[in-house]
Amino acid sequence: MKSLGSIRRDFAPWIDPASSPFLRFEDVTKRFGDFEAVDDLSLSIFESEFFALLGPSGCGKSTLLRMLAGFEMPTSGRIILDGEDMAGIPPYRRPVNMMFQSYALFPHMSVAKNIAFGLKQERMAKGEISDRVQQVLKLVKLEDYAKRKPDQLSGGQRQRVALARSLAKRPKVLLLDEPLGALDKKLREETQFELADLQHQLHTTFIMVTHDQEEAMTLADRIAVMDKGRILQVAPPAEIYEAPKSRFVADFVGNVNVFDGTVRSATGGRVTIETTGGFDIVAERDVGVEVGQRVSYVLRPEKLKIAAEPISGPNVMEGEVWDIAYFGPVTSFHIRLDTGAIVKVAMVNATRQSPLQLTWHDRAFVTFDEDAGLVVTQ
Amino acid sequence: MGEAVKPGAVEREKSGGAGNRRKWGIGSRGLFRRVVIGVPFLWLAGLFLVPFLIVVKISLSQTAVAIPPYLPTFGDPSTWWSGLTQLTLDNYVWIASDDLYFNAYTLSLAIAAASTVLTLLIAYPLAYGMAKAPPAWRITLVMLVILPFWTSFLIRVYAWIAILKPEGLLNQLLMSIGLISEPLVILNTPTAIFIGIVYSYLPFMTLPIYASLERMDHSLTEAAADLGSPPLKSFWTITFPLSLPGVIAGCFLVFIPAAGEFVIPDLLGGSRTLMIGKTVWLEFFTNRDWPVASAVAVVLVAILVVPIVIFQRQQARVG
Repeated sequence: MKSLGSIRRDFAPWIDPASSPFLRFEDVTKRFGDFEAVDDLSLSIFESEFFALLGPSGCGKSTLLRMLAGFEMPTSGRIILDGEDMAGIPPYRRPVNMMFQSYALFPHMSVAKNIAFGLKQERMAKGEISDRVQQVLKLVKLEDYAKRKPDQLSGGQRQRVALARSLAKRPKVLLLDEPLGALDKKLREETQFELADLQHQLHTTFIMVTHDQEEAMTLADRIAVMDKGRILQVAPPAEIYEAPKSRFVADFVGNVNVFDGTVRSATGGRVTIETTGGFDIVAERDVGVEVGQRVSYVLRPEKLKIAAEPISGPNVMEGEVWDIAYFGPVTSFHIRLDTGAIVKVAMVNATRQSPLQLTWHDRAFVTFDEDAGLVVTQ
Repeated sequence: MGEAVKPGAVEREKSGGAGNRRKWGIGSRGLFRRVVIGVPFLWLAGLFLVPFLIVVKISLSQTAVAIPPYLPTFGDPSTWWSGLTQLTLDNYVWIASDDLYFNAYTLSLAIAAASTVLTLLIAYPLAYGMAKAPPAWRITLVMLVILPFWTSFLIRVYAWIAILKPEGLLNQLLMSIGLISEPLVILNTPTAIFIGIVYSYLPFMTLPIYASLERMDHSLTEAAADLGSPPLKSFWTITFPLSLPGVIAGCFLVFIPAAGEFVIPDLLGGSRTLMIGKTVWLEFFTNRDWPVASAVAVVLVAILVVPIVIFQRQQARVG
């Protein structure tokens, strides 16, 4: 089998039948009145894994995290961490720590006191506490800021203090609630890599909640895409991107063109789809489909090729250049087909001077390979 | 890295005086700002500072059988200089030498301090409950705290007489349920003063504490729990310290007026508990000794200025 994406991963306990999960959600449901925040959800997470819960707001990802921290109790189902059922264990006795979205730094305590707070609860010896505080401050590169109060720090520094504080107790699982949400774009990108390095260094299990697909893709070993209290797909980032199981996942993670249609023929390794747009798509068949079944064909913009001259062969669409956006590394075209549908095409600017000269309202031809997209049935 | 922020930078950003001026479209001279500050300033100067200076002047005068009942007066400009030479500190010496005044001051401060503590003990749980109530209820709860202000203060204190007197509502209730056989003597005792002060000043303690608790980030107590601190411990290490500005504000709002309180001890405390407010009243109306009454008042202000200054320092530090 060809590997998806461009990354070979050595860490993949989820495909190893011999490894047992470190953390399990078993049929967990959480209702707030009539609202079902988490709906009969089961999930296994492995030791040392960097796991991301990704989904739109209100999808239940934060509730899941808060149930693990102990701030919410599941309406039904079990949460088992390292062999121990978490039911009835209050937040202050759970071997997990959380980094809050608002950071929740204690404003009346210095950075060092904030970090020492959790250690003091364990009745750790004074010398040991200050050693540990120094250690985590070094980890987040804030050694010189120990005496500062939170309001004397920048947003990025506060984020590090929050991280240091949640790591100080060496939790079995570190919970990160939108850890980079409050940072500006540039700082977020830097911090992403630091966070990933930190996790590799510590081998702590990280569970991150985010609505930012890029953040999840960069950081996580595996991503669970959630919607309406359910998990739609759990897979490594490349698989989520290249082999989404449903329209929602394809659409939520990255940019995508979706063509709805009916299967006209399915022979051998091939499937022909008659789209509602009036043209046929010939695609590689990698899911079981029947003739007459309603399916969607999802196609990432960068997997399409664009030309100014007519192209022969299957899977060619013709239309008018409706919009062009130049991003630097890629140029994005919106091609308006004669049916009115818009097809998004991303062209990688591999050379400084593009041989393709297209401008607004030109006729353009778009084509793609049989294995460029994916047939999804959900 | 390299995102160091100097302490103080944040404050400077917040105050943004120049930005505001530009926003109001007013030149660098800040005429608008001067007017805005000037009007209340003149108001206070005219209606507080000047009368206070008059009281100070009277406190340095001597009683006389005259109208007004003291000398010197500064009516005729030609007598001003001789008038000034007649001013004396005798009244202050008199206050210092008589135990009566010393006892009245200490009693007033002791009653004010004790009732401040009592008010705090009742108001804190009340404010905490309000701040933890569902957001939809909070406005109603705040309204309920403010509600007594819709009735005259004097009438509410009179109502307590009807409740506390030997044949009053409280004694009738306790006797009818068989808890006591003899009526309790509460009216005209220090207990009645405490009840009156705690009742009257409860909103002044509750509201600032509520305000500081209500704006506290709920995730702070969650973070404390997450880091291993049980609820009660989180209260003392996180919630209480962060509500201190409200507690201090509340304490001063109760202590300062309670120390000079006249109506409550007069109506509920009887004649045996002589607080300083009552002393001023007696000197002024019964003895017709305006200078001594004024001196007593000036000393009271001086005593209370100390906590007010501490209070303002505290507020400035918090702000």
